[in-house]
Formats: sequence, structure tokens, C-alpha cells
Amino acid sequence: MAWFTDRHCFLLAVMFYGLSTVYSVFLWRKGFRRDEWVNYLLLAGGVALHTLAMAKRGMTLHSCPVNNLYEATTFLLWALGLACLIYSLLPRFKFLTAFTAPVLFTVGIFALMPSLDPHGSKPEFSGALRSLHAATILQSYGAFGLAAVAAGMFLMQQHDLKFHKLRALLSLLPSMQRLEFITFRLVAVGFALLTIGLTAGAWLPRHEGKPYLSDAKVLWSALMWLAYLESLVAYKIFGRTSRRFATGVIVLFAILLLTFGITNHLSVLHNQ
Amino acid sequence: MSVVVIGLSHRSAPVELRERFAFAENKIPDALKQLSESGLITEGVVLSTCNRVEIYAATALSPDDAFFARVKKFLVEHHAYDGELGDELYTFAEPHSLHHLFKVAAGLDSMVIGETEIFGQLKKAYDLAFSHKHTGARLNKAFQRAFNVAKHIRTETNIQRGSVSVMSAAVELAEKIFTSLAEHEVLVIGAGETSEKTARALQSRGVRKITVTNRSPERAMALAAELGAGTTTVPFENWPEEFERIDIAVSSTAATTHILDRAKLEPLMKRRKHRPLLLIDIAVPRDIDPAVSELDNVYLYNVDDLKAIADEYLKLRHEELDRCNEIISEKVAALLEANKFSATAGSK
Repeated sequence: MAWFTDRHCFLLAVMFYGLSTVYSVFLWRKGFRRDEWVNYLLLAGGVALHTLAMAKRGMTLHSCPVNNLYEATTFLLWALGLACLIYSLLPRFKFLTAFTAPVLFTVGIFALMPSLDPHGSKPEFSGALRSLHAATILQSYGAFGLAAVAAGMFLMQQHDLKFHKLRALLSLLPSMQRLEFITFRLVAVGFALLTIGLTAGAWLPRHEGKPYLSDAKVLWSALMWLAYLESLVAYKIFGRTSRRFATGVIVLFAILLLTFGITNHLSVLHNQ
Repeated sequence: MSVVVIGLSHRSAPVELRERFAFAENKIPDALKQLSESGLITEGVVLSTCNRVEIYAATALSPDDAFFARVKKFLVEHHAYDGELGDELYTFAEPHSLHHLFKVAAGLDSMVIGETEIFGQLKKAYDLAFSHKHTGARLNKAFQRAFNVAKHIRTETNIQRGSVSVMSAAVELAEKIFTSLAEHEVLVIGAGETSEKTARALQSRGVRKITVTNRSPERAMALAAELGAGTTTVPFENWPEEFERIDIAVSSTAATTHILDRAKLEPLMKRRKHRPLLLIDIAVPRDIDPAVSELDNVYLYNVDDLKAIADEYLKLRHEELDRCNEIISEKVAALLEANKFSATAGSK
């Protein structure tokens, strides 16, 4: 089985995410009327294969597999998938899988691009603090991703209720208040993890002659941290409406996903 | 021995006739006793509700026209009815009698398709006959199967899904916005009958507190007293101040102009820090300016919107009828097969 690498395993996981995406479209067309397990099991199959892929890579590296853009992206997706499976066990939250699967599938396809994993399973950095830095930051992105999914469900419910669509009543989705609470909680958890990860990063040894504060990834991370802080403060303290908060959470995660690879590529510190 | 049904319902007879043939609960055991003693039936259950009067019986006689004519005669004489009778009384022999029983238990023959009240009424009628020893192996089996089929249909189909009344649609909406109604307060503007019904529907789902306001304070106090504990009143001129606390407002005043418009609600929403607000306007002409729904976190439903929801649910229930009938046909065939088997086993 030597030919069956961790990348093959991840490819299979992405195929499961793809199947789940197709099934999600079917659920969406049916108006989320049946509280069922098919999509949950498809996603669980994907996450199981995904875990296996990461474990294989981690065992080869003898460390947490977060050493390059491929590993970072797969770690982020894994955190998102696992959090989704856990939250989906809450009453009426099974449809979270239908909103998460498309994100896992599309970003998973992106992660499979060979240029993201040029050296395969070869360690590019080591050290506990580095692992903590990378793992917590990626977990925070997973939490932000799931928050964006919950925010999407909230906006859909709000739109349906506002415009008197029967789907709002027929669908087995949680109440708007619950979705709003879950979105806030996930953003708060993500923000805490991001803070820990960035603090750990700041303590990492600096390389002489390499700029730190003007590094693209450092600047980008600081901006993301500030943006999420603004979102939380505006919502909790200054009474930003729930619709604006939810829209902000989705927009921020979309920006995060779209710029994550670019800033990583531009960063001198993260490409040494 | 076979199961038969004779009766009349909202489908076949007007209310004047139904009430004429209704059985008082305390008279049912005697009626069943008389029917048994006449030799017409060996087991019997009488179901008497506002929408139907039916006798379910097991008989050793052949369920032909002559048999049903004798049971009809009994009914007519028992109720001292001297009017004309046409097709109002219907009769069913097996397998249609069992099909009818299963349909009634599942609420498929009810005025509001899929309603559950009939299930309880049928169970009560059966328990009454059972306790007076008017049921035996045949009816016991038929009724137990009917109850199981009704439960099966309830879980396997969407026949009982959704709200088919304006009031329950309002409650369902509230539960789609708020996680638990026990944490929210309701303001009832206007003390009419519709307000009372909607308030009661919300109360049954455990809302924390209800505040009633009306132009006439006496009527507001009367409604508050009707609704019982956890209900208070406020003077009509002060109701806007309540908007800081409440999350659901039900309005049904006789006002000829809007009592709540966007200009009035906008500052109130700021004061409530944009918490979601469900406005249920059941007044005609409308009490609330439709423009308020343009505000963030405001969900406005008028009586037509609620009626549309109820109608849509009813339509969905009708669409489920074919599936329910298929299940019933299967279960009736299985019961008849089991009866045939036990009859063969018994004769050996």
C-alpha cells in the first residue's frame, strides 16, 4: 500500500465532500424539510478519510502537519469539517452539513493543486511553538468558516421570514435567535484561538535581515484580527444589527479564504 | 364475524342532523347493551363527536342491506327521529369498514385533515366500550391496529405537519424567530376575540408574560383576567413604552388608521437595541403600516399572510393523502389476512 499516499487519501475525502455537495443541492431544492442522516454520514466519511490523510502525513513528518500551504489548507478544512460534525449533532443543526460541504469541496479542490505541496511530505519547519502557532491559527479559521456557514443559514432564514416564504416554516432549521447565538459564539472562539496563535507567532525567533512587521502575512493576520475584533465589538457593544453582523462574518471569511494563499505566497517569513 | 360501520359525519349530514343523532356519553353503554341484546351485534363501539356519530360493530350476521336496515331502524327509534333520511347515513362492511376506521383514527376523514383530536376521541370511545365489556377479540384487534396505523402515519408522512389555523401559524412563526418563547413577552393590542385566541395559543407555548392594552380599560382587564396568571394591563396611551420589553405584539383593534407606522417604530427599535420583533396584525383594516417591515429585525405578518400559511399547509396535507391511503390499504390487507389465519387456526 506504499503507493497509497496521504494525498490519495485526501483526494478520496474531497470526493466524499463532492458527493455531500451534490446531495446538499438536492436538500436545498427540497427546502430542508427532512431531518436526515445521509448528508451527515457522507461528510463524516469525508472527515474520516481527511483525518487519515493528515495522520499519515503527520506520522511521516513526526510533527503536526502544518508545514506548507497544502498542509495548512487541509488542516483548516479538517478543523471546519470536524467542528461541523460536532455542531450538527445539536437539535435541528443537521443541515449545517449542507452549507459546509460546498466550502470543504471547493477549497479541497484548491488544496489539491500540486504547486501548493511542492516537496510532498518533507518537513519545512519544526518546533512546538511553531506547531502551536500554525495549529491554533488554522483552527481559528475553521471556527470562522463554521461561523460563516451558520451566518449563511441565519441570513437565509431571515430573508424567508421577512418575505413570508413558506420555506422558513417548512425547513427543519433552528430558530434565528439560536443561529445568531451560534454564529457569535463561533466568531468569539475563533478570535480567541487567532489571538493565541498570533501571540505564539510573535514569540518565534526572528531571522536577521528579514522584515517582521512589514511582512505580508503578518500585516494580513493583524488586519484580519482587527477586522474580527471590530465585528465582535460593533455587534456586542455598539448594537450592530444581526443581519449586518452575519453579513460581515461571511464577507470576512470569504476575504480570508481568497487572500490566505496569496499572502502566504508573498510572505518572506513563511517561505524561508 | 366481520366488522361493520354505520353512521353520519360532517361529510354526509348537516349539523342539525348530527346533533339529533348524537349520543350522550353516559347513554352509550345502554345503547350498546340494547344493540347486543337485539342480536344484531356481538361487539360494539359508539363514537359520538360534534362532527360524526358512528357505530363500529362486529357481527355474526351477514352485513347485507337487510342487516344495515335493522341497525338504521334501531338508530332512528333510539333517537326518536321522525324526519326523512336519505344518504346521510352511510354503511360499510369489510374491508371498507376497516379502511374507514383507520382513516378516522389518522384524522384523514376529519374536517381539518390530519387533526389529532379525533384520535383521542376514538380512543375514549373505545375505552368506554371496553370498560363495559362491549368489545371482544375482533374489535379489540381492529382498534389497536387503527391506533398503531394512526401513529405510523403521523411519523412517516407529513399529514399532521404545520399549522392549519391563523393562530397556530402565528405561534409557529414566533418559534422560528425565538429559541424559547418562555424568555419572551407579548403585547396584545385590542381585546377582541381574535386577540384572545392568539394570546391563548402563545400562552400555551409558555410565553413569559402577556400585557393587554385596549381603548376601553375594562375590556383589557376582562381579557387579562380571562388569560389568568402572568397577564397584566397597560393604559392604551402607554403601549408604545412596552416595546422596550416585549418581543411579540399582536394587534387587532377597531382603529380605522394605522396605530403603528415606521416613524413611530424606528426610535422604538433603537431603544430595544434592534432585538427581533414579531408583529402580528390581525385587524381589518390593518393596524400596522406595512412599511415597518422595511426595518431591520422587524417581522410583520397580517391576517392574509397567516391565512396563506395555513392554506399552504392544508394543501400540503392534501398532497399527502395518497401516501396515507396506500399505508392504510396495506395495513387493512394485513389485518384481514391475520383474521383469516386466526379463523382457520380456530376452526382446526
